[in-house]
Amino acid sequence: MIRKMSHATVFVTNQNEALEFYRDKLGFRVHTDAMVGPDFRWLTMCTNDQPDFEIILLEPKPGMMMDQETSNAIRTLLGKGVLGAGVFNTDDCRGTYEEMKAKGVQFVSEPAERPYGVEAVFRDNSGNWFSLTQPTGKS
Amino acid sequence: MSTDLETLERLARARDFIDHCYDHPLSLDQISEKACFSRYHFLRLFRQAFNKTPHQYLIERRIEKAKELLRKEDDVRVTDVCFEVGFQSLGSFSSLFHKCVGHAPITYREKARETEQAKRQVPGCFIVMYKLESV
Repeated sequence: MIRKMSHATVFVTNQNEALEFYRDKLGFRVHTDAMVGPDFRWLTMCTNDQPDFEIILLEPKPGMMMDQETSNAIRTLLGKGVLGAGVFNTDDCRGTYEEMKAKGVQFVSEPAERPYGVEAVFRDNSGNWFSLTQPTGKS
Repeated sequence: MSTDLETLERLARARDFIDHCYDHPLSLDQISEKACFSRYHFLRLFRQAFNKTPHQYLIERRIEKAKELLRKEDDVRVTDVCFEVGFQSLGSFSSLFHKCVGHAPITYREKARETEQAKRQVPGCFIVMYKLESV
């Protein structure tokens, strides 16, 4: 029986810039940041409420699992903004939207009422889009 | 020119001898004797067959062993590693190590430990998929 999810990968164009973005603009904290050998950086971050769910910020690079073509393909998809990476929850979508917007986060759609709550959609600095959802029932 | 099978077997015998006795001071005479060739003939054939001289092969073998010891033995001193793998002087060991590996022995050990530490935090599937087993 699968119990829960502990890690998920988000491809980013640059790990340093992604770290700053996720920390300073999204309020995440670094869970692990370690070099495994000279070329592979294991960088995971988590939200405050889920310290045991690690978001792996991985840079597509040729030479490890990928060849140059694969790495380029992922970077192209990121650039096109077609990769949707998930849904984050908040207690206050509109308030968080204002805070993030003030920090310069780019929103694809403003907070709007949905059957399941209030939802806005933003992009990270690599081009991944995420939902920012305040589920119904949370004030 | 390809090396014939019989010559190759004799050369391999000499190479096996290096593999077994790398931690002793080995001379070209001792090594070539195992293949029953004169030293200069042996040197030329060895290089032709393995793309390196017996001496280079010996050095590589020692450096590999030194890397292993530095990674695995917690308290071992660089000086001890140097003599244990067959070098006679710390100076030549250090400079050869640096030349082959890119770091001084002590720095290599620190980096190797950091890598080991880091690996423990990474799920095994990533280690496998990203071919990080041997870094």
